[in-house]
This record gives sequence, structure tokens and C-alpha cells, in this order.
Amino acid sequence: MSHTIALTVNGERYRLDVAAHHTLLQVLREQLVLTGTKNGCEAGECGACAVLITWPGAERAEPVNSCMVLAPEADGAEIVTIEGLIHDDQLDPLQQAFLATGATQCGFCTPGIVVNARALLDRNPDPTETEIREALVGNLCRCTGYIRIIEAVKMAARVGREVVG
Amino acid sequence: MQPFDYVVPKSHAEASALLVEGAGIVRPLMGGTDLLIRMRGGFVRPERVIDLKGLPGMCDIRPGEQGWLVVGAACTMNQVALHPLVQQHYDLLAQACNAVASYQLRNRATVGGNICNASPAADTAPALYCLDALLEICGPGGARRAPIAEFFLGPGKTALRPGEFLTAIHLPPAPTDACGVFSKLGRTKIGDISMVSAAVLVDYGLPIADFGFTETRTSHTRQSTIRHVRITLGAVGPTPLRATEAEAALALDPSPEGVKRAADLAAAAARPIDDIRASAAYRRAMVAVLVRRGIEAALAPSSSVLRPASAGGAA
Amino acid sequence: MSREQGAGIRNQESVDGGRPSAAARRPSLIGASPQRIEGREKVTGAATYVDDMQFGPNLLHGALKRSPVAHALIKRIDVSRAKALPGVRVIITGEDFPGYTGLYLSDRRIFALDRVRFVGEPVAAVAADTPEIAAHALELIDVAYEPQPCVFDPEFGASPEAPLLHPELGDYACQPFILPQAGTNISNWFKVRKGDMAQGWAEADLVYEHKYRVPHIQHVPMETHVCVAQQDVNARITLWSSSQSPFAQRNLIAKALHISHSKLRVITPHVGGGFGSKAGVSIEGAAVGLAMHAKGRPVKLRMTREEEFYTTFVRQGLVAHIKMGMTRDGRITAVQNRFYWDGGAYTEYGVNITRAAGYSGTGPYFVPNIHVDSYCVYTNHPIGGAMRGFGMPEIHWGIEQHIDQMAHQLGLDPMQVRLTNCLKDGQETLTGMVMHPTGLSQCIQKAADAIGWGKPSAPSGAHKRRGKGLAAMWKAPAMPPNPGSSATLRMNEDGTATVSIGGVDIGQGALTAMAQLAAEGLGVKIADVRVNTVDTDFSPYEWQTVASRLTWSMGNAVLQAAENARRQILQTVAEAWHEHIDDLDIIDGQVVSYTTEESRPLRDIVIYGMQRPDGTWIGGPVVGQGHFMPEYVTPLDPETGQGPRAVVHFTTGCQAVEVEVDDETGEVQVLKIVSAYDVGRAINPDMVRTQMEGGAVQGMSTALLEGIIFDSTGVPRNPNFTDYRIATAVDAPLETENIIVEVPQDDGPFGARGVGEHPMVPTAPAIANAVYHAVGVRVDCMPITSEKVWAALAGEPAV
Repeated sequence: MSHTIALTVNGERYRLDVAAHHTLLQVLREQLVLTGTKNGCEAGECGACAVLITWPGAERAEPVNSCMVLAPEADGAEIVTIEGLIHDDQLDPLQQAFLATGATQCGFCTPGIVVNARALLDRNPDPTETEIREALVGNLCRCTGYIRIIEAVKMAARVGREVVG
Repeated sequence: MQPFDYVVPKSHAEASALLVEGAGIVRPLMGGTDLLIRMRGGFVRPERVIDLKGLPGMCDIRPGEQGWLVVGAACTMNQVALHPLVQQHYDLLAQACNAVASYQLRNRATVGGNICNASPAADTAPALYCLDALLEICGPGGARRAPIAEFFLGPGKTALRPGEFLTAIHLPPAPTDACGVFSKLGRTKIGDISMVSAAVLVDYGLPIADFGFTETRTSHTRQSTIRHVRITLGAVGPTPLRATEAEAALALDPSPEGVKRAADLAAAAARPIDDIRASAAYRRAMVAVLVRRGIEAALAPSSSVLRPASAGGAA
Repeated sequence: MSREQGAGIRNQESVDGGRPSAAARRPSLIGASPQRIEGREKVTGAATYVDDMQFGPNLLHGALKRSPVAHALIKRIDVSRAKALPGVRVIITGEDFPGYTGLYLSDRRIFALDRVRFVGEPVAAVAADTPEIAAHALELIDVAYEPQPCVFDPEFGASPEAPLLHPELGDYACQPFILPQAGTNISNWFKVRKGDMAQGWAEADLVYEHKYRVPHIQHVPMETHVCVAQQDVNARITLWSSSQSPFAQRNLIAKALHISHSKLRVITPHVGGGFGSKAGVSIEGAAVGLAMHAKGRPVKLRMTREEEFYTTFVRQGLVAHIKMGMTRDGRITAVQNRFYWDGGAYTEYGVNITRAAGYSGTGPYFVPNIHVDSYCVYTNHPIGGAMRGFGMPEIHWGIEQHIDQMAHQLGLDPMQVRLTNCLKDGQETLTGMVMHPTGLSQCIQKAADAIGWGKPSAPSGAHKRRGKGLAAMWKAPAMPPNPGSSATLRMNEDGTATVSIGGVDIGQGALTAMAQLAAEGLGVKIADVRVNTVDTDFSPYEWQTVASRLTWSMGNAVLQAAENARRQILQTVAEAWHEHIDDLDIIDGQVVSYTTEESRPLRDIVIYGMQRPDGTWIGGPVVGQGHFMPEYVTPLDPETGQGPRAVVHFTTGCQAVEVEVDDETGEVQVLKIVSAYDVGRAINPDMVRTQMEGGAVQGMSTALLEGIIFDSTGVPRNPNFTDYRIATAVDAPLETENIIVEVPQDDGPFGARGVGEHPMVPTAPAIANAVYHAVGVRVDCMPITSEKVWAALAGEPAV
């Protein structure tokens, strides 16, 4: 069954015909060809498909695994994917920190982690190491051992505070 | 996933009718964190998915009458855990919600879904048992309420009748001088399905709060004033289990020996099985450890009445 | 290889007639740590992986029909109902592709033909217009099975009582160094016989024997296996594949399908992790098979996470019997090991893991009297393949705990016992090879120092107990004696360079290391070097991205290609300027003369050449080429395992860990992991450290959490992230320390040798030793779950 939904992705508005049994992940990757959002398990466990969603009426964007959202459920939502974190060709401080600390290896988990970490810093600009680790518990990485990722989030938080302060 | 229709009912009655008429081929949807996985795996193959989230009140948390709190069934774990009223008065529930999976999954997973799946390992259930939650159920015959302990019938089995669905969780007025601790043991340090979980609530019987209550007390001498105790175990039986003998023992004797006796009685009350996550023997032994540590944390002079020291998560 | 070719250690002092060499004159890029060159794509989501490639609406979706039973004869396959389903375009079965294939032993078909040997084995494939139709079609394929008795335990499998899983074993083609035992389930038997065992036991003050177990582990690359195949009008096939082995895939698939290598093109863009699982061939043959019948439409085959867990490759299980003799002052006198590898249904790759375990079977120690048997055993489990460490994490699990245990029994310091016995330069390994210069002792000492060996630290609370443990390791690149690498470096009009290689960056940083080597060898900035991902039509040959061999082997080829281009350029300039080539250099993209101090940018030279004083031209487009292949590895005696040079080299190292154990719940918290490895020379030290750190956490994850659980009929019970847990950010150690030791490799580029796999080799036994130190219990069966520690502490029966 097909549904017509309206959604905003990275600031662009779309009207799309989507299949009820497709997930938001499929809509993003297959219909909008925003392939930065990765498919790692389709079970909500690995976090590779995390995107930021502002639901209709909600005040704040929240990270959600896009494999856990049926396409028609996304009607009216505002979505930011990894592609939407670059502004005017400028990398997000998190993206810069991931490069600087060597927090990416194969890179497949990276978009989901950067997106989820962005949400963490938006709601908590000065997280403790424990808070960073707990916020990222749903993002699996098999290459890095997480240590550099945690360092990168700390670094980006520092940069963010300097900018604000 | 094989194709299905997605239907958003506009009223409770319509939702109920859709569930009745599609018996066997429909599935209710709340957060979808369980349903989507099962549909993708082909374990369930509905022809129609009924999204209940949009029904009035399903995603609201609001004060009810006489000091009760009403939590819509489709409220997400994060919504519940981060809500000021929940944090102030039902911290035990906030701890349990925070112990589920990961932050981004808790933005989808709902408290109602956690209960309706009726997994013995559902992390919110032991907390809701301790809080004496009443469940509001909507069905073809209108609404009814049932104590949570009568809702769980066995693994995956609930007291929902054809056409019924869960609309809200009603929490009785919270004792102001109660301290709750939820703890669990998983294979990874946090976010895993519980091998064992335990919720402990110790109530000192001070006057009941209204929601204007803001006092934060940080230290107490409590040993002799316990009014009642609730201890509920998760993942060690076909349903969550109240350890009533342990509760009674602790209420009578909160000394270190009494705490240990209560923990042993709780372990004796467990009815665990072996599965790929843990053996029955380990689970039973861990009940005693988690319950003892939970009680100790709840009784600790340093634990705040309104914000217990334990942050939930792993024991 | 010869020094003139330029890929040996470069003399930092002087090479050119008393004049300081180029390397000495300019700041070296070797040992610098530039950021990874493909990093920006990766952090922005722009990096393209196979599943991100767009093939348009014509794309067909493939799916594999899999066996639900572990061992059965196939009586009938009926695809008629599936074929009739609208939207189904292709169905193929084993009858379409009956030939055998395999990397070291040809014991496997693309689809089962007459017999299935594990749960999940493909018996047919479908390509359809949508994934949903393909999935539906699979359900309509009817297969009749006649169940056969199963083998689930390798020790039983190796016994004469076991049912025979491959009656055809004696007829399978194999590499000459693989020794299948026809008429048994043993597909390779590697033996070491050295010294005099009776004397070894007699000299020992303590002889101790114990059995250790390692379960099947899944690699868990975050990107599951995925490929797309398409056949064009000339019957040329293109395969886009998430692979560590584009060339090996081309070779094996071309041979299996009887097509010319020139008619098969393999393209590998970015790869989302491999860890060995994407070495060799798994699903790709089926995709190519489907494409051959798809009338020109591309066919995608992508594994679900569930399929990834048990249907491509897994790390083999191991049962290890270890017997060791030691004197009271801690000298090892004899080792007798029997390794029973659970090779799974097909051991085309696993046979060589067994061999590697055999020739490394003492661990990194000098032992005078040795008796090792390493058996690769067919079972009805998933197919064992390469995984990071290639047998070494498995054998070290037992060896390194065994040494620890014996040291404790003798009242000796386990660290000192390792220092006493660890191989020193010039000592003989178990196969009779003379050990090259190695920093193993240094690694042990540095790791011990960094963990605070012998110094207790205070636990964090009641019921918490702390302990420290360490484990040493060695590992050689496990491969045929002569795997080759090659590289080209093409100069561009603007003076930048494009390097083509056949090895794959699967996250380890190969692209960046190669850029460093090329920039250093040529004399340009790293930013001016582009390194291509692999396309077998345009990339030069590389054997496989395995064995931690790229930095060393491909690095030699790249360095040689760069130096070859450099020489071409300088020859041109020397002639045009009438100078001696030794007076010229290339620095940051400029050719400079040390005599005239004249300089000229590369862009004015490398494509159009240079004008001579008489107005004519010299030079032209510069293309450098390089290749490398070890020429010195010797065969080993099949009865004794002895020979002058078993392997190219060993990378050695040591890890030390501190843990805190909850003595009531059995939970193990890893506080710190120190890794110290002798990498010869770190081309990019920061990336070396990230390899150490990532490997240590992967090793920790396998040590504490992992293992595929099978039911009694061979069905995996935890093929998903819910039930097969891997370490998360919360489980990762609180602290890591990564120490680089550099004892140069004589034939490595600038002395480098590989370190990709090694960091997860000793982690598990180091943790086990630390747990023992903390609470006095030893877990000999991986993983070290809380429950096992609790059971051991509580005196409960082993779980």
C-alpha cells in the first residue's frame, strides 16, 4: 500500500509516495539517495542508521534509528542526516574532531555515531566521559575500540563550548 | 518485510473495531521496536498494521485525579524517564526506562509496548509492579482497568482480549518518603536484555505527595519506620514476580541480617529457566545479589528520598 | 629482492657517493601521522560502499535459499512454483554450477549439489524485481532432504567413529603444502616433530596438561557482505564487491565458472570492515551466477545481519590440548600440543589456519623438544575462514594461560617466565627457522612497566577485586610462499601523482600509508598523491588484503613504483640540464639541483617532458611501476614440519591488562589494556596505535562476550546483535596505552612489518590471566562470561 507523505530532509521539503512496509531508512537511502545513512542490522541494535528527527509538534530533534520507523510514520517529520551536518562546506566540529583524533577507520558506523553524538552535544554541551559512553551504547563499532570516538566527542564538546563561551 | 497496509485510526472505537475485524491479520503498532524486527524476520505477517500512537492521550503524561499520574501507553522510554513528574515522584520507573537498550532506541520504544510484549525480561515491568500501576485498557466494550500483576499471564501472553489495546498506565500517588532502586544484570554492561532484574521500593510511610511537593531531603534515619516494601523480579519467571515473603521479611527486620534474609527469600521465590543468556542457577543466585544490593542502596542514609543514589543500569 | 630495486631499508646516512641522500635532506613523511586521506568522505557520509552505488530501476534483488538442516542428502529441488511467481527473473541451483572451488583446497561449490553440510548452506538463488518478491520466491522453492548423522565436535570428527562428511576428500585439488587425510574428516594435518620428547619431559620439574576451548566467533564487520554483478553484451561480467580480495575473487570465480579472467572485472569501493570475513569468496559466486542468466540486468546480493552471522565465514572453533614441561627456574623443556580445529562444512580456507597454528604452535618461545599436531576437521558447522589473527588468538588462548598457570604453580613471576623463554634473535623457532631480529623482550618489558606489573591497585568498592595479567604473542603472515603485490604511480599534468594498488583499505589505513610511501619515494606532498580503490581492470595485481601484509608487501611495491617514477623524472632532468642524476632531487614537487640550485616544478616535466638546449624534447608521461614477491620461503618436511624458512617473518608483541572483578556477580571490568608491538618501523604511528587499540577492544569483546551458540541440531541460536553481544562504548576499557617498538624488518619498506591482526591475539588470555590474578579462578573455555567466573568462584559446576 502506498502513502503520500511530506517530510523535510536536511532543509529540503519533499512529497513522496512511500510503501507502508518500507522503513524511513529505505526512503532515505533508496528514494532520496542519501546513502550516508547506513544499513547495519535493520533491528535497531547497531545505530548505523541513526538520524535526527523532529516530530511534528516537537521542540527538539532527537536521534532515532531510521530502520525502526515505518515510512508512513515519518509523515510531517523534519529529518537531518549525516549529509545535513555540513554547512557551507564547513564540517561539523564533531566531524572535524573525528578526523583529528582518528576516530574513523572503515567508516561504516561513523555517520550514525556522528549524528548520535551531535544529538548528545545539543542536549548536553558538556558531557562527562560516562555520559558520552552511555549515549553511544547503541552505536556499534568494530574497528576503533571506541576510545578515539569518545575522545572526538570530548574534543568537539570543548570546541563547542569555546565557540559559545 | 512483506507488504502490509498501514492504518491510522481516528478514535479509540475505530481502533478497537479494526483490531476485532482483522483478528489474526492485524497488528497494533506503538514504537515498533519489537514489531518491525518480527515482521522483517517473517515471524509475524500482518496484512494490516494499526498505528495507535496518534489516538488522543496515547503520548501524554498528565496528572490524574487524586494525585495519580497517567502515562499514555505510547509514551517513549525517554519521554517517561525525562519527565519532571516521573523523575520527582517515580524515580524507580525512570531508572527502569533508562535501563532499556540505547538512547536512540528509547526514543522509539514505548512503555506500553514493553508491557504488551509481555517479555519476562521487560525492564519497566518490575518497577510498575512495585508502584502498583493500574493499566487502562480500551476495547469493544469500552475502557477497563486492571492491576499490572493481573496483566502478565506468561511469556508473550497478556490479559488483553480480542479488540483490546493498552491506552495508559495509571500510577497511584507516590509516597513522598519512598526510595526505589532498579538494577539489572546483562551480558554487556548496559543496554542488554536483562538476564536478571530487580526493582526494590521501600516506603517510609510519610504523608502522600501532591505534585507541588519539591522538598529534597538527603539524609534519614529509617531503619525502624518502614511502612511497606515492594520487591519485584524480572527475567526469572514466566512473568515478573513479586517476592512477597521477602518484602514482609524486610519490613519486619531491616537489619543487615534481615536484608540478607529478604534477599535469600527473593532468590527462593524466583522461578528461572536456562536459556542462551544465562542458566537458572546463575539467575537465582543473582536475584539474591541484586535484591540485597538494591535494598542496601534504598536504605543507605545517603540516598535521597526523591533521587536515589543509584542511577539504574547495571548493578 | 635486490636493494637496487629500492624497496629495502633505506640508508638514512648516505647512499649517493658520499652526498647526503634525498631521505636525509628533506623532512621524512615516514613516521609522520597525517590524517587518513579518505577521512573527509567517511565523516560526511560521502564515502561510497557497494550498497550505496546506484544501478537504477533495472536492478534485480538476489536472495539465497538456505538449508535448514546441518547434514542431509538433497533428494529433490523443485523451483517450479517459485519460477511462476510474477517478478521472479532468475533461479539457479547447484546443477547450474557443479564445479568445485576453494582457496587452498577445492572442497566447495557455489551451491550445494547433492548434499548440504551446514545450516544456512545455499542450495539455490533467486533474482527478482524486488527484495520482497525474492524473499517470497525462496519460500516457494521446495527442497527434499534426507537427514544424515552429524559431526559437531572436532575431536569426535577426527575419530574413526565419526560419519564421513566429505567422502570425496581424496579427490579434491589442493595446494602442495596442504595435507588432507583421505578417508577421514581431517582435511589438513600439520605436524611438528623436533628434539627428544622423553628428554624434554625428564628435564622438567613440572609437567602440566590442560584442555582449552574457543567457540566460533563472528567477525561482525558493520557492513555486511554485499555485491552486485552484471553481464554485458560481450559476456563480460562486472562484480562490485565489498571484498578484501578483488583479485582472488576474480581468480576463483573465473576458474569456477570457466570464464576468462579478462572477462571478469571486480570493483571494490570503500569496504565497511572485513576482519578476514571478506577474504576469499563467499556470496560473490552466486551473484555472478545469477547475473549470467539475468539478460544484462544487474543483480544485488546483500546479506542481512542474521545471514552475516553464520552463512559467510566464521572464525573456527578450537579444542586445544596443551602439555608443557618446565624447570623450577622457569625454562620450558618440552611442548606437546594437539589442536582440533572445528573447520566447519568446508575448509577451503581453514586448512591454512590449521597450518599456521601448527608452525606457530609453541607460541613465541624457544622450546627444544616439540610435538605438535594441528588437525583441520570437517564438522557440520558454518564455514571456518580467515579472521583477524588467523588461528593465533585461538592457540594463544591456551598457550598463554598455560604458561601463566605453570608459573604460578612453580611460584614464579609469569612475566619473568616469558622473558626467560621468549624467542631471541638467532634462536630457532619450532620449525627450524632462525628468528630474525625481534623486539619481543622489549615489548614484554614495556607492557609490564606500563601496567604497573607487580604493583597492586585499590579496588573501587566492596566485592570488587583487581588483578593484572599479560600475554605475549607472535604471528607470521599466513599465506602461500609467493603471494605478490604490484603498484603503479602515474604522474598527472599538474605534478600530482595517482597511485594504483590492488589491496583494499578496509579501515586499517592502507590508502594513507601507501600515500605516505609514494610521497616519500617520489618527493611530493601527501596531499598531492591520490591512491585509488581497486578495479581489477585498472589496478595492478595484489594477492589479497590479509595476513597484515599490505604495509610490508604492497608498501614495497608502492615505494618501488614511486622511486621508479622518480628515477625516470630525474633522468630526464639530468639530460636536459646536463647534470649528474645524483646531484638532483625532488622536494615537495620541485626538482632541485644541488649544484646549480635551479629548480623546476614537476608539472613542467612529467607529461610533456623537457626541452633540451637545442630545442628538441626528452621524456614524456611518467609511469612508475613496482612489484614485490617474497622469494625465499621454503617448503617444510611434511613429517617433521622442519625447514629453513617457514614464513617471511613474525610480528611479535605483548599485552598487559588490569581488570576488576565483582566477586559476587562474576562481572569483569577491563580497566586498562596496554599493547606493545614490534612493528619494525611505524609508517604512520598514530594509525598503528589505532590498530592496537581497536584490535585490543575486539579481542576483549571476544574474550568476555562472544561465541556462536548452536542447538543440538546445529542451528545457530544467536545470529543477531540482540543475542550475540559485542562490546559497546560502555564496555570498552577505561584506558588504553599503545607502545610502538621498532626493530626493523630487513625487507620491509623503511623496515616496516604489519600489525593489523596482532593486537587481538593475546588480549583474551591476558584478560583470563588478570581474572585469575584477581580472584584465583581460571576460565579455560571462552568467553569469560560473568556466569563462568561466578560459577568458578561459587564452586558450581562449569557452565
